[in-house]
Amino acid sequence: MAYLVAIGSSDGENIDLKFGEVDHFLIYKVSGKEFTLLESRVIEENEDYTESNICRTAECNSEGCSGNGHGCGGSAGVTQKVERIADCRCVLCAKVGFQAQKQFERKAISVFDIACNITEALEKIANYYDKIDNHKSLRQG
Amino acid sequence: MAKLLDKQRYKCALGAMQSVQAIERALPILHSGPGCAQKLSESTGSSGYFSPNIFPCTSINEKDVVFGGVKKLNSTIKNALKVVDADLYVVLTGCIPEIVGDDSSEVVSRFTDGEKPVIYAPTAGFKGNNFKGHEQVIDAIVEQYLEKSETKQKGLVNIWADVPYQDLFWLGNIRELEKLIKEIGLTPNTIFGYKRGIDNINKIPEAEFNLLVSPWVGLGSMKKMERKLGIPYLHYKTLPIGATETSKFLREIGKFAGVADEKIEAVIKEHEDYYYYLIERYADLFLENRVINKQFTVVADAQYTLGITKFLVNDLGLVPAKQFVVDDTPKNYREQIAEEFKNLNYGIEAEVSFETDGYKIHEEIQNHDYHGYPLVLGGYYEKEVTESLKGNFLNVSWPVQDKVVFDSFYVGYAGGIRLIEDIYTVAVSRFN
Repeated sequence: MAYLVAIGSSDGENIDLKFGEVDHFLIYKVSGKEFTLLESRVIEENEDYTESNICRTAECNSEGCSGNGHGCGGSAGVTQKVERIADCRCVLCAKVGFQAQKQFERKAISVFDIACNITEALEKIANYYDKIDNHKSLRQG
Repeated sequence: MAKLLDKQRYKCALGAMQSVQAIERALPILHSGPGCAQKLSESTGSSGYFSPNIFPCTSINEKDVVFGGVKKLNSTIKNALKVVDADLYVVLTGCIPEIVGDDSSEVVSRFTDGEKPVIYAPTAGFKGNNFKGHEQVIDAIVEQYLEKSETKQKGLVNIWADVPYQDLFWLGNIRELEKLIKEIGLTPNTIFGYKRGIDNINKIPEAEFNLLVSPWVGLGSMKKMERKLGIPYLHYKTLPIGATETSKFLREIGKFAGVADEKIEAVIKEHEDYYYYLIERYADLFLENRVINKQFTVVADAQYTLGITKFLVNDLGLVPAKQFVVDDTPKNYREQIAEEFKNLNYGIEAEVSFETDGYKIHEEIQNHDYHGYPLVLGGYYEKEVTESLKGNFLNVSWPVQDKVVFDSFYVGYAGGIRLIEDIYTVAVSRFN
């Protein structure tokens, strides 16, 4: 059975974005050990939410949540992002915060926080799920 | 078809973290899933400077299964060295990293030139149980840490016995063995328990010989030390409990180590005199044939099943029913261990079964005619079945639920007396 994988990448070649930094996910479709790029799924900004976000207003100069210039978006932002890729089997980002990990966990979506080449990662992921789905041992070689 | 094992009496090889813990100031570093140490640490008496809840662990998850966990292992070892003050770091691997092919030994080898020793023992569960894991830890110390010594210390003997924590009486037993060896004029060296640790590990290569007191556990390590460190070994199969076996034990060691007969006999006489003084005082209890059961069964690992069977037959004159060895003894040792059960006084032979399935064991106990109430010495699993037969039960082997043991022991002359006390305490309480 084919499934979808969401990837956080800035250049389309490497998994280099943290979950909080992602503004569009690359969605790959994996079938057996084959995978193809299906779409680039944009995460829309939620206006109501943006205005209510104290960390993004002028009074708050905290470097904490928005130290990387993108901000974590708080729990509401996370929920929205998680919902956008709820149809995926797993998500691959350079880093995924605790909040988001827990939310993915609730939806039984696996989180792989790894920074590496997309093709390399997808080969490993496809191989892993292929073995699991077909009840094959994960033993190497 | 998959086989179910009822009432398993051992843990997976990673249970060897308890052997590491028994070495003072030695720290296990686990390359395993986050629940392994928790599952394996239920034995009592395992808190202290290091305890299973603080063992550094890579806590590997799905990501490490897919992408490999060597990076995490590297950082876990690096940081353990930074923040945990130990004398010896032993990296133990669980099943997951070994199935998916992490090269853990390569990672550990990056730390070999450091200030403190870091060694590696592969203890994946599919390789065997914690008896095997215990051997892997000793092997790792021998192979990766110890070097052959040019100088030997006269009379120094390394003593090896069964698996710490798995054996409830491990600490008391090894101390009592040390005491006996000391009395015949040799110098004992052991690595487990209070004030032993790395200093004693360092002394291992200087020993004149290794003494292994176990039916089979650790024999592989003895052979390894013989090859690498040039230390010959004496394999004494029976855990000596009570006068008959302990005197035999001392004579055999005396012969092997070249201790004068007079010296050995003097030590034996002193112990036996006191031992039989005690026995004599309680002769009325022993001769009252309604107190103790006619037949007994031991359900334990090889060392206790063999040791206690010999003791109860040779010293107490009881009749053995079928005996059960539940430690999954490797097949190549079984025949010679079974032979030992035929080597009892008064021409008595005991039937022994190497059986790991508790259901089958209980069935056999229930179907055997004990000519009265049975006496069963075993794990806590045997309590219920013994009670259903109105028998007397004593918990001597893992799992242990109904007693707390600090440094009590069953080995030697004093240990035999302790065992009689324990058995008769159970037996006489029937009449209260």
